[in-house]
Amino acid sequence: MTIVIDDVVQTEPSRSFVKTAWTWVRRHSGIAIGIFVLASILFAAFLAPLPYDPFEPNAMAILLPPSSEHWLGTDRSGFDVFSRVVAAGRLDLPLALTGTFLSLIIGVTIGLLASSKGRGSEGIMRALDVFQAFPLLVLAIVIVTLTGNNLPTVVLAIVLIETPRFVRLTRSQALSIRESRFIEAAYAMGATHRRVLWRHLLPNVSGAILAQASLAAANAIVVIAALSFLGIGTSPTDASWGSMIRSGSQVIATGDWWVALAPGIAVFITVLAFNAIADGIQKTLEEK
Amino acid sequence: MSSFWKYTLRRLALVPIGLLIVITAAFGLVSIVPGDPALAISGGLADEEKLSEIRGELGLNEPLPTRYWNYVSGLARGDMGTSFFTQLPIRQELFQRIPDTAELVIMALTFAIVFGLIIGGIGAYFRGKAADRGTRYMTSAIQSIPDFFIGILLIYFLFYQLGWTPAPVGRVGLLETQPPEVTGALLTDSAIAGQWDTFRSGLRHSIMPVLALGIFYSAYFAKTSRAVLASAFASRQVEFARACGLPTRTIWLYAFREARTPIITYGAVLFAVLLGGSAIVEIVFSWGGSGQWAVDRILALDIPAIQGFVLVAGTITLLTYVFLDILVAKLDPRISYGKRS
Repeated sequence: MTIVIDDVVQTEPSRSFVKTAWTWVRRHSGIAIGIFVLASILFAAFLAPLPYDPFEPNAMAILLPPSSEHWLGTDRSGFDVFSRVVAAGRLDLPLALTGTFLSLIIGVTIGLLASSKGRGSEGIMRALDVFQAFPLLVLAIVIVTLTGNNLPTVVLAIVLIETPRFVRLTRSQALSIRESRFIEAAYAMGATHRRVLWRHLLPNVSGAILAQASLAAANAIVVIAALSFLGIGTSPTDASWGSMIRSGSQVIATGDWWVALAPGIAVFITVLAFNAIADGIQKTLEEK
Repeated sequence: MSSFWKYTLRRLALVPIGLLIVITAAFGLVSIVPGDPALAISGGLADEEKLSEIRGELGLNEPLPTRYWNYVSGLARGDMGTSFFTQLPIRQELFQRIPDTAELVIMALTFAIVFGLIIGGIGAYFRGKAADRGTRYMTSAIQSIPDFFIGILLIYFLFYQLGWTPAPVGRVGLLETQPPEVTGALLTDSAIAGQWDTFRSGLRHSIMPVLALGIFYSAYFAKTSRAVLASAFASRQVEFARACGLPTRTIWLYAFREARTPIITYGAVLFAVLLGGSAIVEIVFSWGGSGQWAVDRILALDIPAIQGFVLVAGTITLLTYVFLDILVAKLDPRISYGKRS
């Protein structure tokens, strides 16, 4: 008897967990699909067995169209396009995620600081206005080339480009929430400034910030693709979607479409996945 | 004096301060950047003697305030420095190329606004129906393709497959004569000179780069105009206009008037952004404008050129924003001129 009861007790929570997870996935299909796509790209990039070595060109297989041997063809140097597109996820996605994560941390901190009333916060916002007045892509190129032209400087460039959006969002959200009754109540109950910030303000803006982070990551993917398209930040031997599009662009006018198409679609799908997550979060916020 | 003019004057009074910040940024960006620019220029191969020679040439041996003063006073004389690369004055090099980029950006934005308004208008008019969903998926898709990749797709389809456009190299064919320089912009100049063969060739060469940028940026206008027009179509005044039996055309015009301010705002901001942001599309099509020039020079570590570009791009953006604020204040009487919001 007891065994049966034990069984019931043990299976009940796990079944309900699967059930809750499934209802969540069905209600947030955009977010779920986006996360699934990104996870698959990362999984494939790091763990999947590739048909060819993505860093070893084959001089006997130059610019071959897609075939059963080379599923997506080969490029001018003899790299297998399929293997390289998958392997490029090792570089592009972690770079974008690192850059976005750092700019989120920095941006939210500055945004919270700038949400206090006073001259200092006005100053921060005006400085942001001026900073954003420069063409950011060119600024990114300047920063990366002048500071060493390597992967960490690409992250630095992304942080500089993406931080302002977090500052603006956090500040505007914090300013509007700051006026609400429950913040007033928290202060009235003797909460410290720091406690209000961490326990009341931040949880209420976190959804909007997450949505913004997903958009920032999408933009970071495009910036990285643009930089490596120009041959900046990544070295030519690295596999990245931007540098692959570049080598594809050199043969596209003669009709060899397969070199540029696959990395272009990879960028497209990744950006779309990040945007779907952002849309999904936004929708959930609006329903609340 | 009306409050509008007061607002305009106050906005203009802030321009010199903004300019000073832009100048300082252009100076500082390259002067205080971590790492030794001399080392970067020499490619890390030069010995100490060569390095100090390069530093002397850059004026890096002087103390920072002196360098700043030299830079600002040079600018006051209209001297933006000399290129390390071509030994030509930066001002001449840059201002020769800006008209080409301006022409590209204006054509691309015109396309983006018209196309975006159509897409957004369809979505707003058929709100919640299949046409709305379709156009929305389309805008999300367009926004997820980098503009230079759209350019590459266009080269494949329009040039390679269909042969509708000339080869994606430069602004005119090799055989066309260059028009005498008036504005520096090829299409405008050839129209002024009446060289219609060159003009036609220039237009045909513009199709793909204009479409690449125009399609990508139309997504922004489609999104904004859908949101604004949808609320306009649901608004009281449109309902009233419908009840009065006004023709659909008039109702559309009313709705479009609502979208005027955000469209102008987006257009102006994108104009400023694209003067540098069109760089990669320019490179794909060897357009030869200021964006392509800037990237070439950055890669060659031509520091005076980088400073010049940052300075000019920042100044243009600053002036665009001021002009925009004043224009929006003029168009939208609801905006209070009392304080800057």
